[in-house]
Amino acid sequence: MSEASTNYFVCVAEIAAKLDQATHIAQQLSLTASNARAVALRAGERAAGFRPLTDFIDRLAEITISSSKKINLLASRLSQTSADKVRADDAIEHFHAVYIKAKNSPYISSLDSQLMRCESVQEDLNRKYRRQIDQLSDELAMLSNELRNAVILATLSRVEASQAGSEYQEALINVADNVEGAAGKIKEHIKYSQQMVSILEEY
Amino acid sequence: MKTHKLFDNGSHTWLMFGRDEEKPEQIIDTNQYIVITKNNALLMDPGGIELFSAMLSAVIKQVPANKITHLFASHQDPDIISSLGLWDQALPSATLHSPWLWESFIRHFGMHNIHYAAIPDEGNSLKLDSVTLDFIPAHYLHSSGNFNVYDSKAKILMSGDIGAALETVEAPLFVEDFDDHIDKMKMFHQRWMPSNKAKNDWVQRVRKLDIDMMCPQHGRIFKGDNVKRFLDWFEALEVGLINKGSN
Ligand SMILES: [Fe+2]
Ligand SMILES: [Fe+2]
Repeated sequence: MSEASTNYFVCVAEIAAKLDQATHIAQQLSLTASNARAVALRAGERAAGFRPLTDFIDRLAEITISSSKKINLLASRLSQTSADKVRADDAIEHFHAVYIKAKNSPYISSLDSQLMRCESVQEDLNRKYRRQIDQLSDELAMLSNELRNAVILATLSRVEASQAGSEYQEALINVADNVEGAAGKIKEHIKYSQQMVSILEEY
Repeated sequence: MKTHKLFDNGSHTWLMFGRDEEKPEQIIDTNQYIVITKNNALLMDPGGIELFSAMLSAVIKQVPANKITHLFASHQDPDIISSLGLWDQALPSATLHSPWLWESFIRHFGMHNIHYAAIPDEGNSLKLDSVTLDFIPAHYLHSSGNFNVYDSKAKILMSGDIGAALETVEAPLFVEDFDDHIDKMKMFHQRWMPSNKAKNDWVQRVRKLDIDMMCPQHGRIFKGDNVKRFLDWFEALEVGLINKGSN
């Protein structure tokens, strides 16, 4: 029991840490978007097709940042629920020990109502825990889905870059690489978090 | 966990719980006390988290859970009150009487249901049915916010860490030969208690009380003349020392 409970705290903390890293990458991504916008402006007409792409890059960064925030909040709520769950499980375990040790006490039934109360709290917490896991898992899936657009964005960026003329081409291809790289790293963090969630689902 | 009756006059009873043979070896042995009146009970220094199920098992043999309406924690130490989070589940409508100084610290042990009644520095009283219990200031002995519990009818002073001795679980309940007992108390008082001034102030205050039994949270109970012997010895003792070779 205690080993499992340590595990769930560690898993939840790891999810929060991974999403923190994702937030940092997304912040860099939004910097990339504003650099790209400047380059595209300088490139003028030839990079006209690139400008709307920078808006998409921005949007992707924004979605990642806000979704990471949400996931962090869900993770911290889940951690609180886990702590409450450990406390409730612990109290019930202690009560059961008392029922054995003091089984001949004339007053032993005076504990019944408290045990029942703790057991109903425990059930509520178990339901809450499941619900929060589901929310976390949905949010991770949503973000992962959004990040699929990054591959398309990178491809389109490369196409547009090739038309921007040799002077700007390199800078714009660099933007495309950045987008692809950032999305890849964020996806890895999400994948790891999803593995943690599947461990949590087993408790 | 053993249970001993210390006092009973029909209107109320004092019990001591302690000498727990099942406790893990590395934790200090503690004495817990309860005053049971007609409809209520006050559990004093209920102990560490490691002791909780043994304590609740011992207590529930004496009183139904809903009769334990009050708890008292002399100070914030883990051997005094780290079980609070579990008592909080067992006695959700109880009141905990404890120094105001420690409220925001003691709450770290987990307190969602129990009510915290902060005792002011000068102390106060609790009326349990027909019995009045006084919370007597004992600050800096050893904790900077610390109280004893005095029952003028039973003439019992629950003295917390004052009078404590480090002993084995086989030790007798009462101090037999005071001079022999000094060795088991000296280092504890010199090393844990920081202030001669606070100590002498407490001795003066307690000398005015009529005491048959002085009941510490560790070690043995002082009875009759041994109470006065303790006060004399303690008054003369220099505390606030780190004294390696002595003891
Ligand atoms: Fe203490
Ligand atoms: Fe103590």
